[in-house]
Amino acid sequence: MSELTQIGSINERPRIPTRDEVELNFSDKAITELEALKTHYPELKACILPTLWIAQREYGGFLSGEAIAEVAYRLQRSYAEVEGVATFYSMYNTAHKPGKHKIELCTCLSCHLCGTYRLRDFLKEKLGIGHGETTADGLFTVEEVECLDACDRAPVIQVGDTYHGPVDEGYLSKLIDDLRANPESTVVKMADEMVKVHIRASER
Amino acid sequence: MAAAVQIETVNITINDIEIAVPKGELIVEAVKRLGLEIPIFCYHPRMKPVGMCRMCIVEVGFKQPDGTVRKMPKPQAACTLPASEGMAVYTDTEMVHRDRKGVLEFLLINHPLDCPICDRGGECPLQNNTLFYGPSTSRYVELKRHAPKAFPLSKYVTLDLERCIQCGRCVRFTEEISGDSELAFRFRGANMQPSTFELRDFESKFSGNVIEICPVGALTSAKYRFRARPWDLETKPAVCTVCSNGCNVWFDYRVGKMVRINGRTNEGVNEEWTCDKGKFGHEFYNSEDRLLTPLVREGDQLVPTDWARVYSDVIRAFANGGDKVAALGGAANSNEDVFMLNRLMTGIFGTKNLDHRFERNLVTGVGEKLGVSEVQSTIASLEDAPSMLVFGTSLADELPIVFLRVRKAWFKNGAKVVVAHHAPTDADSFAEVILRYKEGTEAAVASGLLSLLVSAGKAQVPAATADAIKPFTPEHVEQLSGVPAEKLRVAAELLEGAPIITTRSMYNQASGVDALEALAGLAMVTNGKFNCYSLQANAEGATLLGTKEGMHTHQILNAAAAGELKALWLVNVDPFALYPDRELVQQALENVEFLAVQGTVASEAMHYASVVLPQCAPAEMDGTYTNVERRVQRMRPVLKPKGSTKPGWNIFSEIAVRLRPATPFFNPGEVMAEIAKENPAFEGATYDKLPAEGFVIR
Repeated sequence: MSELTQIGSINERPRIPTRDEVELNFSDKAITELEALKTHYPELKACILPTLWIAQREYGGFLSGEAIAEVAYRLQRSYAEVEGVATFYSMYNTAHKPGKHKIELCTCLSCHLCGTYRLRDFLKEKLGIGHGETTADGLFTVEEVECLDACDRAPVIQVGDTYHGPVDEGYLSKLIDDLRANPESTVVKMADEMVKVHIRASER
Repeated sequence: MAAAVQIETVNITINDIEIAVPKGELIVEAVKRLGLEIPIFCYHPRMKPVGMCRMCIVEVGFKQPDGTVRKMPKPQAACTLPASEGMAVYTDTEMVHRDRKGVLEFLLINHPLDCPICDRGGECPLQNNTLFYGPSTSRYVELKRHAPKAFPLSKYVTLDLERCIQCGRCVRFTEEISGDSELAFRFRGANMQPSTFELRDFESKFSGNVIEICPVGALTSAKYRFRARPWDLETKPAVCTVCSNGCNVWFDYRVGKMVRINGRTNEGVNEEWTCDKGKFGHEFYNSEDRLLTPLVREGDQLVPTDWARVYSDVIRAFANGGDKVAALGGAANSNEDVFMLNRLMTGIFGTKNLDHRFERNLVTGVGEKLGVSEVQSTIASLEDAPSMLVFGTSLADELPIVFLRVRKAWFKNGAKVVVAHHAPTDADSFAEVILRYKEGTEAAVASGLLSLLVSAGKAQVPAATADAIKPFTPEHVEQLSGVPAEKLRVAAELLEGAPIITTRSMYNQASGVDALEALAGLAMVTNGKFNCYSLQANAEGATLLGTKEGMHTHQILNAAAAGELKALWLVNVDPFALYPDRELVQQALENVEFLAVQGTVASEAMHYASVVLPQCAPAEMDGTYTNVERRVQRMRPVLKPKGSTKPGWNIFSEIAVRLRPATPFFNPGEVMAEIAKENPAFEGATYDKLPAEGFVIR
């Protein structure tokens, strides 16, 4: 038998990106947060998820290849590994750049019965976009998602870090007008909130 | 022999047969002790288990005090289950059979079943496991997952995503074995795919291995794709001669043509891995540029002729040449070739001008000067070293398989590796200390290390040496080489008694010889192991069997350039590729009266040749090669010699017999017997004694 088969070899550090391969764009605030994060876990691998949230905020709501490369460099992990983690989770935006506001429609049973697809058709008519699409002005993205765990408020939608529900066409119409007037990106705000969850108040 | 290590064992039962196995041994390995087999996909004995494919599930229970076995309610994955006392494993129950069928049915849901056109068809673990353990029909009638076919991950590896069963072997290989971490799983569920970051090129020096360990046809070789059916191939064991590692490979061929190279297990050398240089570096066997017939110069043309004409030309030019003739090369030839060449040159032509080395500094070898061997560690022994020094070489480029061993020592045993080189290397990613010096300051760094160990009282050196290295304090070394004094101190702490790995490319560095001397001294005084590994297939053999008395390469080329040489023989070597000074080579080849070029493939030197002697390729002849750790390995003929090519030893022997009639050697086995008679080091390498895994000269 080979001793190699024993679980838990000593070393797991993969090849790391070098400084000259990546462009670093994290703000000072992000770097402070990252340094704080690194003290929370025994190894840097554990920081990948929260650091991806920092990156999602810093890169305007979208984890581009550059963003992933920066995370890999800052955490001394391999590019491929960090990309693998980022693409696994649907709350990280890795496929394409989302609009300023992402409207996520819950399509699971309760919401479905209470009319999610009516809302979807309404959005299609009002914004001209369907699942996974973004308006030409880059303001809105619509996504049909799995259960948001708020059946008591069905049909529920999520915009940024806020749940809205029960929602009807009138509410949705007003919400869209409000969002249009909102200069702040709810996608970025959501990422920021997620970072705040990970960073202690004393570390901000 | 080392004392046997007491291994703690536990008593388990496998299918009600009692057996004691080492504590913690994985069940998937333990059942092999009874000759049983558990079907696997993701599990690989050389990598950490992950339990991803669920193919290896078995029923497990524990013996109760009353003697009955209480089974766990669910089956367990044998690849992640360590043996413990009282465990009862069942590999052959109704439930296990049903579960295996279920797992295979799931795996086949999205598998395209394009076996008729799949490279893996016929040697595919998925086919085999389905045949023995799977369902004969599928209940799945819906649409299968579709993905791009034949995506080129790199120039060597093509990914067919539809066939992937997401076992993660390739991902783990790049993380655990080669260490480049180029591959990872992207996305999830049915969309999960092993790929590179942003689908960039799969840049690895070992990418070919993922083709072999892929249990389906998802990762295929771009060079072999659609070229053959596995059952149409003939396979013979061979030794890779692309570099000096001497990796054991399977040589697959069909109708006299090399088709592909796969890794063959030799625990002492390459385990089962190959590097890309070796795996994809055998294309020259089928090259259009192969030399097939002897050629002779007529005016500005080389025209085909026969061996008799070439022999007589060579004999006319070389016979009784004395100091006026010389030969270069031979480091890529077999031991038998080198020996016969040496005999021909020294015994018949009466010259000692014979050299295979092409480095910039060809002084007396450091080992010889200090009276130590330049190869003291076997490749396998590196694995158990607690610390080591890799000096002045990009190991993954020069000796890829040694690199894997060094990395394994770090990965598996936590060996502390000190990497000293003037440029970034692949070994940096796991180095404990990196000494990045300015190019040309190798000697200062090496002397600095030695000086530190001496001043710390860990080593004693003769007074003269002590005085010589005294100025090399860490601070002085920092000034000279740019290596921080602190790092040098940390490195020196680690290096007492450690193996030192460097290569002959150090002889190309201006201060390389001094550095090597310091390193050899370092190993000598701390009971370490000094290794200056050579880089060509049989360079070690050429060193052991060659003569050191005549002119060396520089002198030979200079003499030729000055018109002082009557005849020069290039033995399977392209000096333009190896020698640092191109102009001198050109002058030498132009000015020598008679130039014999011997080789397998057309080379630049042929333009200057008076005669060309076609030699057959390594796999077309019988012979032994001495690898980097001085392991003599035999390569039996795989293919028939192409055209009228001849083995090197045969060419030299036939010329010799024309000048001095004597019974010639009939086969390389007789040559090796003669070698062993003259050179006792080769005693264990005679063909009747040579073991399959090779014989290491000590």
